[in-house]
Amino acid sequence: MTDAVLHINDLIKRYGDVEVLHHLNLEVTRGAIHGLVGLNGSGKTTTMECVLGMQGFDSGEVKVLGRHPRDLWQGAGDVVGIFDTPGLHPGLSVRQCLEHAHLLCGKPVRKPAEVEALLGITKYSNYKIRQLSLGNRRRASIAHALIGQPAFVVLDEPFNGLDAGGVDDVLALIQRLNRQEGTSFLLSSHQLAYLESICTHLSILHQGKIALSASTDELISPSESRLKLVCDQADAARELLKQTLGVINIEKEGSAFMLTLDGIGPGDVNRKLVMSGVTVSELQPEKRDLSALFQKIVSQGVA
Amino acid sequence: MMQGLMTAIRAEIFVFTHSRSIQLLCVIPALVAAVQLVLVRSLAASNEARAALMGTQTTDDFGGGGFGNVEGADAWGALVDALGTGLTLISLILVAYAAWSFASDRDQGVLRHLLIRRVSRPALVLSKLIQAHLLALVSIVLMLLVTFGSAALLWDFGPVIEDGYELIGTADIHAELRLGLSLALIPLPAAIAVGVLVSVLSNSTTQALSMALGLTLGLDLLKSVLGGAADYLYASYLVSLLDESYLDDVARLVRGYSDVMIDPAVLQLNQWVPWPQMVLFIILALVLVRRKKL
Repeated sequence: MTDAVLHINDLIKRYGDVEVLHHLNLEVTRGAIHGLVGLNGSGKTTTMECVLGMQGFDSGEVKVLGRHPRDLWQGAGDVVGIFDTPGLHPGLSVRQCLEHAHLLCGKPVRKPAEVEALLGITKYSNYKIRQLSLGNRRRASIAHALIGQPAFVVLDEPFNGLDAGGVDDVLALIQRLNRQEGTSFLLSSHQLAYLESICTHLSILHQGKIALSASTDELISPSESRLKLVCDQADAARELLKQTLGVINIEKEGSAFMLTLDGIGPGDVNRKLVMSGVTVSELQPEKRDLSALFQKIVSQGVA
Repeated sequence: MMQGLMTAIRAEIFVFTHSRSIQLLCVIPALVAAVQLVLVRSLAASNEARAALMGTQTTDDFGGGGFGNVEGADAWGALVDALGTGLTLISLILVAYAAWSFASDRDQGVLRHLLIRRVSRPALVLSKLIQAHLLALVSIVLMLLVTFGSAALLWDFGPVIEDGYELIGTADIHAELRLGLSLALIPLPAAIAVGVLVSVLSNSTTQALSMALGLTLGLDLLKSVLGGAADYLYASYLVSLLDESYLDDVARLVRGYSDVMIDPAVLQLNQWVPWPQMVLFIILALVLVRRKKL
């Protein structure tokens, strides 16, 4: 096992006869912000609930900071979870909820006023939770979770109910905690753009299995094997490329060609076209689109 | 485990002392009992005034009842009735609260914070039990203080006398009242444990509340049908809407009914039956919470 805050091996979870997680494997390395993407019903929340010991699982191994999920309470707040429900007493004020969280932490912690400021909810300090908007309840919930300076935070749909400013604040906060305090995160969301902007690693969960798991750089870095080509003499160019060894696929997309290469590079293609009198106005590696990748996996099934 | 339990208890006490709705629950039985006493006294006073104007003797059907002209019966009768009302409310509120507390915290996700941070599942259940007992303690003390205080302001208490003959002395009434109250309080922990067990078993707050109250009222109705078997049920000794507790007998005793006597065997059962049942309910809740999705 590497330096992982979360290690899931061969996890199987059934609800009655329905198997919702099929031999799921996932690892979140220390210091990572790991995004979990998937359709509704793909098993994201179930995975997170199994990780945090909210429900048992049928087989497999789950270790969170080296502990079984059922023993997380022994870590005295090393791990926290934020779910779709705020998890706060509706009859208590924001400050009282934070003081309540303070009671639960067994080690030096941030002061309630500090986390209120961190989340921008100082002015709501004396408001009852039931009086807050959904977004502010979400902020209060995050504040409640962060009071104990956890090492690993699990967030299920953290952007739900937040306005654009709120999303930016949460994204900035996650990045800050990650950089300054080394806090590791596992967060699920349908908002691919948000995850792409913040996550160091991404996993795509589809039909109860991890269909793809890699670092974000790896997933969205431009590919040398897929090129976008814009040139004149389209027909001549296509014929020329067809006869070129190493060009294994040519697709027409509007005024451009999408080329799939194997064993040759963009320079080889450019040289061949120019030497044949074709003027190349654009030749660039295709930037991967996470959304397209996700759609492709979802439509094709588990890779 | 102990550290986790202490944390959970501290967290529950924090909520207890900061939640207005929980504080209101503590006050309601005392308020209702006091209002009942005031109403009884007002009606009795108006009846006496009317009788004085008409130049007739009062029939005194309010609160006193009994034989009508038994001196001192009104005050004691009204007091024991008010205590009965307060305890009935307390037992219903405690069962409902115990059922609501765990299920509501689970539905709102509050339990998750406790569970992930510092508290094991069994400690969660035990802390809820302790919180419900704290609620019981506060509401009982408050109800007793308010009821006895209100009664002392509204009536003069003395022995129960009929035609110059003392049916029952003050000391005896105090002793019977103490016995009636203590016997009525013994099944409360079992009732709380039922509430928590139902809460652990249920899948939502609404289900927990309806199940716990349905079960309590169902047992109340069933106990008269069960005959002798009802003696082995904790619910038979609870002060309830269809009251068969000893406190109900005390209410008759202080009204001058001399045939009221508690069977020593029933007294023993009242003292001992609720405890093993409470332990059983708690063990079941502790076992079941381990497998429950929270």
